Amino acid sequence: MFSLPFEQRLEILADSAKYDVSCSSSGSNRAGKTGALGSTAAGGICHTWSADGRCISLLKILLTNACIYDCAYCLNRRSNDIPRASFTSDEIVALTMNFYRSNYIEGLFLSTGVVRSADYTMEQLIAVAHRLREEERFNGYIHLKLVPGADPLLIAQAGRYADRISINIELPSQKSLALLAPDKPREAVIGPMRQVSGLIVENKAACKESRKAPRFAPAGQSTQLIVGATPENDREIITLSEGLYQKLEMKRVYYSAFIPVSSDNRLPAIPTPPLLREHRLYQADWLLRFYGFSAHELLDEEHPNLDMRIDPKSDWALRHLQLFPVEVNRADYEVLLRVPGIGVRSAQRILQARRGTRLGETELKKLGVVLKRAKYFLTAGGRYLGGIRLDGPGLLERLLAPARRPARLDQLELFAAMPDFSAVSGEL
Amino acid sequence: MIYRYDGSFEGFLCAVSDALKCGGKQVDFAGDGDEVAEGLFSDEIREVPAVRAVALEFRSRFIGRVSQEAFATARYAFHSRKAGIEQLVWSYLQLGLEVGGRLTGMLATEPVHSVHRIARHVSHEAHKFKGFVRFREVEEGFLYAAIEPEADIVPFIAPHFVGRVGDRPWMIHDLRRRQAAVFDLRSWRLIRDIELTAEPGITAAEHDYTALWQRYFQRHAIAARHNHKLQQKHVPLRYRKHLVEFNPAENPSPPLPSP
Repeated sequence: MFSLPFEQRLEILADSAKYDVSCSSSGSNRAGKTGALGSTAAGGICHTWSADGRCISLLKILLTNACIYDCAYCLNRRSNDIPRASFTSDEIVALTMNFYRSNYIEGLFLSTGVVRSADYTMEQLIAVAHRLREEERFNGYIHLKLVPGADPLLIAQAGRYADRISINIELPSQKSLALLAPDKPREAVIGPMRQVSGLIVENKAACKESRKAPRFAPAGQSTQLIVGATPENDREIITLSEGLYQKLEMKRVYYSAFIPVSSDNRLPAIPTPPLLREHRLYQADWLLRFYGFSAHELLDEEHPNLDMRIDPKSDWALRHLQLFPVEVNRADYEVLLRVPGIGVRSAQRILQARRGTRLGETELKKLGVVLKRAKYFLTAGGRYLGGIRLDGPGLLERLLAPARRPARLDQLELFAAMPDFSAVSGEL
Repeated sequence: MIYRYDGSFEGFLCAVSDALKCGGKQVDFAGDGDEVAEGLFSDEIREVPAVRAVALEFRSRFIGRVSQEAFATARYAFHSRKAGIEQLVWSYLQLGLEVGGRLTGMLATEPVHSVHRIARHVSHEAHKFKGFVRFREVEEGFLYAAIEPEADIVPFIAPHFVGRVGDRPWMIHDLRRRQAAVFDLRSWRLIRDIELTAEPGITAAEHDYTALWQRYFQRHAIAARHNHKLQQKHVPLRYRKHLVEFNPAENPSPPLPSP
């Protein structure tokens, strides 16, 4: 596994790592040290974007793609016939330092297949982080993956070196997990999460007492769910995410549209990854975290799945038209946030600007508030901005109306309806 | 009255401070390189030297009257270096001193709206370039990066890289404005009117790591999710010239057998 040339191993191990969607380098704010390499920015920094439009912030790589497990959804499962490769810790350290110095990356995201045992594998990951921090004085971002079933002591150690740690749930329910990942009991994933959340809370308290307290995973923990590989509905997924955010101090839950990487008959045969569903789940996730929505407001037994035609906030608003329109000059921040088309930034600007001026349509446009959807839910100075008042179905139709006029198509059809145009016009 | 200053933000603040003292009527500004029509009005040109203490005094006066945030907005907007920006920032600063803390609430009125919009563009570009600067190792240990941003963002990103790449001397060269931030392991400074006499030669190690990075970049994309439009939204073509991962031809390496 070390016999292949370095370049080839880099390709193999980058290939094997890229299906993990977590990319953020945010949540940790650490100034640089004199004479050393690295700092972290609270908001994270993206360094480039690859051809699939995903940002590259961290060097996302596996230590090895050999694995003793056989999870059906995973490219690196034991039974898959793909080339296997490994890096030594020296190689990863040199790659990280050099890429970082060129400003290609914001840090390292290190994951791995499981070799020998969970504990052995976890130790290998920690060894790389230890070398970067202690020997190379690397002060940039490190995201470490936790190995399911690893010893609690090792997990505590990982958080000393890493900014963020994560362990992937992958499948939203116990049943799916048992079916597709028979080697990974759910407790082996949830257990470490719970431990990490406890340690993060503890560490926050310790840091309040003393500024010198060593930090434990300052950027928190995250996880990932695969969407579309198993039959769970959106309601189950969003409710699970809400629980993770509220109970386990989760910073982020990532959703990954299932891309068939094997022809395992336990998996559904889908022609293309469900990218739109993934997008809608992210929108709903944002509503949970930044807009004060709760899962049961967005989805219930009658609507167990997100509407693919329209964003979840508009969908919610259409089901609660009795609450609208709201007056832009008076409505509370929390109310403004619930208006479709108004985001955190617009709501803040409205609050700021209405202290100085009375806001009308022109002022809203100047503030950069996009009125395309919002106008149907707002009054400004008592005037409804949406024109004619519409009921739910009528408004839905209006919101779904395509932005571009289909005039061209009509014209082409006109020609098609007249088979011999030249006979009419006399031209030839 | 035309106030002529050295083109720097510090110098501009001195000119503003001077203009305020003179009553602030019919004020115009001319930076270092700006052409000023000679002749009829040439007697109304006033040279204002850049004095750090004067600039700092104006700064604390403005912050005390309005806010830190409003001053930062003015500074970002000024560095857009758009034609006529001095007039706009001048009226913004003037209005700030007049109305005080109410300035930020006047977001929907001019000139506050325009200044904020321009400032936002500049700060976005500065943030992007914290990611887009590509250091290349040129002589043993020295790092060189060429950039061509639209706004004058070097003063905003240089402190970031001082904290980040503190173990090597480096230079970030803004080819558009022929100026560079230079770090000598202790502090950084801005050098104006700097031009390359020859294309800097890169080291062998740099060549190898660039090739590795290009491979990694290619491999990172998931074929089933290809979305070039989204990629172009985030990395507009105008920024790609100095991003090595978008220019594999400039760093040719022998082809390897595919795994």
